[in-house]
Amino acid sequence: MSSEITTGPGHTQPDVERLHVAGLHAPSDAVLSVRDLSVRFSTENGVVHAVRGVDFDLLPGKTLGIVGESGSGKSVTSLAIMGLLPSTAEVSGSVMLKGRELLGLSDKAMCEYRGNELAMVFQDPLSSLTPVYTVGAQIVEALTIHNPTMSRQAKEARAVELLAMVGIPSPRERLKAFPHEFSGGMRQRVMIAIAIANNPRVLIADEPTTALDVTIQAQVLEVLHTAQEETGAAVVMITHDLGVVAGVADDIMVMYAGKPVETGAVDDIYYNPRMPYTMGLLGAVPRVDVAEKSSLVPIEGMPPNLIRTPTGCSFAPRCPLVSDACLAGEPALAPVPGSALHRAACIKSGSLGGDVDVHDVFAAPPVPVSRFDAVPREKRSTVLQLKDVRKHFPLTRGALLKRRIGTVKAVDGLSFDIREGECFSIVGESGSGKTTTLLEIMEFHKDQDGEVLIGGISNKQATDSRTKSAMRRELQMVFQDPTGALDPRFTVYEVLAEPLQNAGMDRQAIKKRILELMKLVGLQPDHVNRFPNQFSGGQRQRIGIARALAVNPKLVVLDEPVSALDVSVQAGVINLLDRLRAELGLSYLLVAHDLSVVRHISNRVAVMYLGKIVEIGEVDRVFDNPRHPYTRALLSAIPVPDPQLERTRERIILQGDLPSPLDAPKGCNFATRCPVFAALPPVKQEKCLTLEPPLEPVAPSAPAQALAAHPLPAPDQRFACFFPDGEMDEDMLVVHEQADHHAP
Amino acid sequence: MLRYLAKRGITYIFMIFLTTSAGYFLAVSSLKPALLEQERIPRPTPEQVANSMRLKGLDPDLSPWERYVEWLTAIVTRWDWGRSPNGAYINAEFGDRVWISTRLFLASIILTLVIGVALGVYSAARQYKFQDRAITSYSYLAYIVPAPIAYFLVQLGAISINETVGERIFFVTGISTPGIQPGWAQFVDMLAHYAVPTVAITLVGWGSYQIAQRQYLLDNVNADFVRTARAKGLTRNQAISRHALRVSFIPVAQSIAFTIPAIFAGGFFAEKIFAWPGVGSWSIDAISLQDVNAATATLAYGSVIFALGAILADFATTLVDPRVRVQ
Ligand SMILES: Nc1ncnc2c1ncn2[C@@H]1O[C@H](COP(=O)(O)OP(=O)(O)OP(=O)(O)O)[C@@H](O)[C@H]1O
Ligand code: SF4
Ligand code: SF4
Ligand SMILES: [Mg+2]
Repeated sequence: MSSEITTGPGHTQPDVERLHVAGLHAPSDAVLSVRDLSVRFSTENGVVHAVRGVDFDLLPGKTLGIVGESGSGKSVTSLAIMGLLPSTAEVSGSVMLKGRELLGLSDKAMCEYRGNELAMVFQDPLSSLTPVYTVGAQIVEALTIHNPTMSRQAKEARAVELLAMVGIPSPRERLKAFPHEFSGGMRQRVMIAIAIANNPRVLIADEPTTALDVTIQAQVLEVLHTAQEETGAAVVMITHDLGVVAGVADDIMVMYAGKPVETGAVDDIYYNPRMPYTMGLLGAVPRVDVAEKSSLVPIEGMPPNLIRTPTGCSFAPRCPLVSDACLAGEPALAPVPGSALHRAACIKSGSLGGDVDVHDVFAAPPVPVSRFDAVPREKRSTVLQLKDVRKHFPLTRGALLKRRIGTVKAVDGLSFDIREGECFSIVGESGSGKTTTLLEIMEFHKDQDGEVLIGGISNKQATDSRTKSAMRRELQMVFQDPTGALDPRFTVYEVLAEPLQNAGMDRQAIKKRILELMKLVGLQPDHVNRFPNQFSGGQRQRIGIARALAVNPKLVVLDEPVSALDVSVQAGVINLLDRLRAELGLSYLLVAHDLSVVRHISNRVAVMYLGKIVEIGEVDRVFDNPRHPYTRALLSAIPVPDPQLERTRERIILQGDLPSPLDAPKGCNFATRCPVFAALPPVKQEKCLTLEPPLEPVAPSAPAQALAAHPLPAPDQRFACFFPDGEMDEDMLVVHEQADHHAP
Repeated sequence: MLRYLAKRGITYIFMIFLTTSAGYFLAVSSLKPALLEQERIPRPTPEQVANSMRLKGLDPDLSPWERYVEWLTAIVTRWDWGRSPNGAYINAEFGDRVWISTRLFLASIILTLVIGVALGVYSAARQYKFQDRAITSYSYLAYIVPAPIAYFLVQLGAISINETVGERIFFVTGISTPGIQPGWAQFVDMLAHYAVPTVAITLVGWGSYQIAQRQYLLDNVNADFVRTARAKGLTRNQAISRHALRVSFIPVAQSIAFTIPAIFAGGFFAEKIFAWPGVGSWSIDAISLQDVNAATATLAYGSVIFALGAILADFATTLVDPRVRVQ
């Protein structure tokens, strides 16, 4: 590494004070001590000050969670510690690994530590392994580099042991496999195996599960936990998801604009945040485990540009509590009164503890009420109905003469309906058929297998283009990627005018409508002549929503509308969607992988697995009392931002990945991974394997029925499983013993 | 692997058959050797012409389909590709020319590949340094300058060397000096004839390989898997040479499929300029001489080269990319 480096502790404060500020641990205890770490990049636009003064101490076997939005400097911090930044980076400060200074070492000298005492797991498992070498060779390489004398057999044996440790079945055979033969989750396991190969003292994991499905995320987090137990390594866990670290971290560092703005023990941060940004972050994430009756906390604005050095508090432009004193200089990370380990960089941190409600601080909007909320569901008209919709793709092999070797049942007999004013969500792992379902609805062609009714118009009658365009006006779509969905060459005005022109409106009316739309989605009307790239991600998504609403549709299809956005921005968009549904009486069909978001904004939900609905019903019923083993597993896999709950929660960890649709079993689709099935006696297993469980309503509870004179109507919840009350296989249940958790 | 190659082989044979047949129909319906024949002095009667053509298996009165069946039967049963309007046998002529073309191009292809890839790696390792800029600029130049002009320039260079030395070291045209005695003298003579065309074709050819290899390697030096390799404890250079390099060879190996046929196909310039009577120049002559059978034979040869290029590319790809092997 040819970066320019200045070593040594901070020049402004004496050492003793710095240590005090950085934590009370004696430095000799820490495996990793970082002091005043700063990173600058020289770019064409100027110097980007990506990391500004990070301090922390990491004790053996402990976990530090680094949390922050995109661009807050989390990855740069970790790469600076590893010495893996590009040569355009200028690093200063100090990084001590077991008392030895790492900054300033040459690339060659760093190699002695990297992969040995200091290891790292990266975010994207798909691209992090070399495609042309076997998994085994890549693990063995990590061993060879640091143990040149180890025999081949010994290395192979160790590789097998490592693969077994990270939970790869039949590890000996899998050594010869290439990365592309592994799923994302399995590749991330391999990455972990490589990282722990030489029993590192410090393991840095940079968003190790962000690219993975929730069920796989739970598996990988479990593997990381095992790896930490086996090696006794200290872990730095970097994430933007406050849920992921709640259960595993001992300490938390919240970063904003390249600086730590609040640090402390995990319980302090989650239960007693003292910096408005942390409070906002916690209030911005919806919870999957509670039925929420409040709006989310939106943090307005965007993180600052790191090219300008802030003169005051860097959060000031977005902080609702900002006052003149905040702008007088950047507040230092100072101990919060009453707790020496808990520090926050806010001049008002003293007054923020106790019973200050974040909803008041950030002025969260009131919960919107729709005029439909009072009308019983059966009395509302249906805006979309699917009847037994199927989409099967033939799977062929051979270049010239195609042979059909099977069928992929992407969507297999889907039926549901959406009523006026209601938000209906589809959830499921990637590959479960969510997107295909949306595509089938948009297709709206009479040759489709199954019937799609949009606003009472059936695809079976939709022969001419008139009916089709009538249907298009009923239904509009909002896409996942707000940047890709907008043509950069058109101004917002042109983007919004297009659907209106198609609807035959005159110029005057279009102009009026566009200004109306801008206000509706919370954008400044005088920004209509800007181009999409002049807006932030959240604002672009608002433009996408405005475009969808232009022609007054009844139903809006939302395909992962917030997954590309940061949590603080996401909250604003979710609140907007909530409000629009109430104000305009819209219905939504939402596809999202984030179940917390789904719980927050939906009324009803369907859980899909391999092209079929396995459970469907009213959202609070399904989430509070899931009946299907898959729903139960899915819900238990989602980490919640509540450390105490997380530490004691029982988790169902599904084995393996979503099976290939080709191998879908004959009876119940879920049998290969079902935790109930695994514990069933063979006689009952036979039933799961031969019969397909139908989607049946949950029977009203016996006591309730006993009290009622008439048969009670079945509640709005149906599921497809023969043994909903079956015992779960114990191997798949995981509870972490309450570790000796530091009292705050 | 063998089965895979065998399957590919069968597919290619089928495709060669199709292109060649299509080519024959095209040639038979557009090339009329009888017309040329009538320009001879003394002018033969149409009957005489038809007769002479019939004797050579080029009967103009038969329908294209009948002639195709006749032509195909001869090839399948006797491996006889027919005769030219001047009476020469295609088989004999073809054998000589294939050998000449192959001799002319084989060395150049190997050198082009090796030098191009090596310089690509070298310049990527020195990105934006003087060496990189010099090499890459040359490659772009070689890419833009039309091949015939570059060949002439090399010829001129060889001639000026000869003049400076005052002795004929290089031959700028021809394949060999007639009547030279076998042994050492013949070998030196061969080298003297070989050197100029080989150098010329190689100098023009390596540019595109250098550019491609450089780009593919640079695309990979900052790849995530290189970062992983560094995180394991390899230095940056080790990580690049062990991980990025191999991956960057894959697209280059695949491109062999198009380069080899391209060199052969573009070969008629080289054959004309250096006066090597190979297949390339023959294909041009065949058309101007209204020679149906020769034109079809050169086309068949072209498709075989194309198939060989593709198979070779498959083979090279399998060598560097084990993922193909697994399937
Ligand atoms: N090589 C580089 N050259 C210039 N600027 C860079 C470079 N790498 C990172 N940055 C900048 O440094 C800042 C911090 O980036 P970093 O990747 O650490 O954010 P992060 O917190 O990891 O975000 P994310 O959650 O998106 O991963 C960003 O503004 C980024 O644009
Ligand atoms: S210092 Fe002021 S602006 Fe900054 S977070 Fe605290 S209250 Fe807000
Ligand atoms: S039917 Fe059987 S296999 Fe399917 S979910 Fe229920 S218990 Fe599991
Ligand atoms: Mg990052």
